[in-house]
Amino acid sequence: MTQITLENLGKNFGSFTALAGMNLTIADGEFVALLGPSGCGKSTTMNMVAGMLQPSTGSISFDGRDMGNVPMARRGVGFVFQNYAIFTHMTVRENLAYGPKAQGMGSAEVTKRVEEIASLLQLGSMLDRRSGGLSVNILQRLAIGRSAIVEPAIFLLDEPLSNVDAAFRAVMRTELKQLQRQFKQTMVYVTHDQLEAMTMADRIAVMDHGKLLQVGTPLEVYNNPADTFVARFIGSPGMNLIDGEISKSDKITMVDLKQFGSFGPVPDAVLGKLKSSDGKVIFGFRPEMVELDSNGSLKMPVNFVERIGARTLLHLGDPDDNIKITVSNHEPVPKQGELAQFTIPPKAARYFDPQTGNVLRGEA
Amino acid sequence: MTTHTSTIETVDKKAGGREANLGLWLTLPTQLLVVFIAVFPILMQLYISLTDWSPLDGIQWWRAWELWNTFANYTDLAADSQFWGAVGRTFLIMAICVPVEFLLGLGLAILFVDNFPGRKILYSVLLVPMMVVPAVAGYMFYMLFQSGGPVNDLLSVFVGYPVRIAWLSDPTLALFAIIVADIWQWTPLMFLVLLAGLVGVPEDQQQAATLLGASWTRRFFTIVLPRMKAIIIIALAIRVIENFKIFDTLFIMTNGGPGVATETISVYIYKITQQDLIWGYVAAIALAILIVLSLVSVFAIKLIASKEQAS
Repeated sequence: MTQITLENLGKNFGSFTALAGMNLTIADGEFVALLGPSGCGKSTTMNMVAGMLQPSTGSISFDGRDMGNVPMARRGVGFVFQNYAIFTHMTVRENLAYGPKAQGMGSAEVTKRVEEIASLLQLGSMLDRRSGGLSVNILQRLAIGRSAIVEPAIFLLDEPLSNVDAAFRAVMRTELKQLQRQFKQTMVYVTHDQLEAMTMADRIAVMDHGKLLQVGTPLEVYNNPADTFVARFIGSPGMNLIDGEISKSDKITMVDLKQFGSFGPVPDAVLGKLKSSDGKVIFGFRPEMVELDSNGSLKMPVNFVERIGARTLLHLGDPDDNIKITVSNHEPVPKQGELAQFTIPPKAARYFDPQTGNVLRGEA
Repeated sequence: MTTHTSTIETVDKKAGGREANLGLWLTLPTQLLVVFIAVFPILMQLYISLTDWSPLDGIQWWRAWELWNTFANYTDLAADSQFWGAVGRTFLIMAICVPVEFLLGLGLAILFVDNFPGRKILYSVLLVPMMVVPAVAGYMFYMLFQSGGPVNDLLSVFVGYPVRIAWLSDPTLALFAIIVADIWQWTPLMFLVLLAGLVGVPEDQQQAATLLGASWTRRFFTIVLPRMKAIIIIALAIRVIENFKIFDTLFIMTNGGPGVATETISVYIYKITQQDLIWGYVAAIALAILIVLSLVSVFAIKLIASKEQAS
């Protein structure tokens, strides 16, 4: 159980910057997901924490102790590789016993630990099987068990669920979370799947192009995205973003969304943060926040209706640059070609700066 | 050949037998070639090895049955002290050369698996000995080990007085010189094969072992070596078989001498073929060696197959 502090962490490969200026503190026993698309620097960050890569800039410390000169064998980090890196020439038992033996535990202690971890992970019946021909879900449990058996202070998981099928992924999400509760270790989990991050993590660190964009609890990141990337990346489908322009008339300030209508009033706090003088702004809202309303100030033609069980997903506007809304099946759903008229609760409206992409926080 | 016809017949009874027949005709030239280059010489050798035939007898080889002596050549072979001496020396050379070449090759491979400045150039330089024609290598070491040669000159520098060791005329030193030449020439092959094996060991497994706290030594013996088993067996089998046939270098350096001090099986066969001309006996030796080497190959192949199944 260890607190991890990343300070101004960066990594360059030649002229390519894989990661820059990463500051993050992961609390003792916390489960943090590093979330982002391929090539965003999340795996690079993880490999540096494990000691497999040397940082180009900045520092990593565990409980305040700088790890710069600590080789990976002595960092006390458990690592679950994406393809598990099981020693396929050994039996399940030999795999589990590898760490304890390497760390010089007595054979009685090794046997005891192997039995314990095997029963915890339901590997007891296959201890003496060769690990080469095992199925993916068993390999996964074995990989976790092999790292957990030496009780590392920190557990790093590199996309451990990307090789398993969807049904099993759901099972493993719950299982992993339970395991973390049992082991009470600090866990860092790398994934590009926001669902995994949302369901398991205490906090999510969203990354893109080698930069940390936002850190927060799953709900914070979902409700209050720091910028347009996070807004679009989190959520399924992501947040709708429409170019708009501030228009002042009389007392009320509205955002003019051209053919889509208008929305307002825009909170004064947002107006105060707006830097550009031309009044351009990006207006955002979650598809789930929409209420169909025949008097609503927003209206768009429906060009595609996608039924997803209890709810229906409507694609609105231009087919190439559409926005999506989800509506309940209980209310009459507009048909293709019809006009969907709706409104959004003022609390759900988000405004972003079109130049920087950063959020213009209304309620703050 | 009987097996061939019988398979064809059984296939013929079934549907598509006509196609199989055509197949036989189309592959017949190649099959005949195989029979000619592999089966025929072996059968001929077997035939001659059962006779007392020699080219000096003035009869064609196929009439050798007139000099039939059944297994006399083989019983002679069992009692031939010069032959067993040659076998002993061959195995002695092998027992020293192959392990030394293996360890040196493995050591070099471990050094070369990581990048370092000048790696590419050194790598090419290291492989040069392997490319040298064995006879040329023999000539090089023949010159090096002359009593007035560079080896003695170099030793003189170290000890401070002129050294005049007659390397190639001393029974023990001559054997040593030949072993040195073989190690020089064939360590690169070991290095090359083992490096290929070493590169093929999955990186993430080594990292996983490191993260579990395994030292370099532990990783090497529990992850790297077990994963290289098949390639190690191949490398050792190649060198054992090749070393068993050691001839060119040695023939130029010592001609098997002094006396019979460096006489290996190949040199012995050369002598009795070219000097004694007892070809029936030579055929018996050749067959015996063929059987031994085949057994080594079969053993190695089985070992590799079992390792591959295991992993």
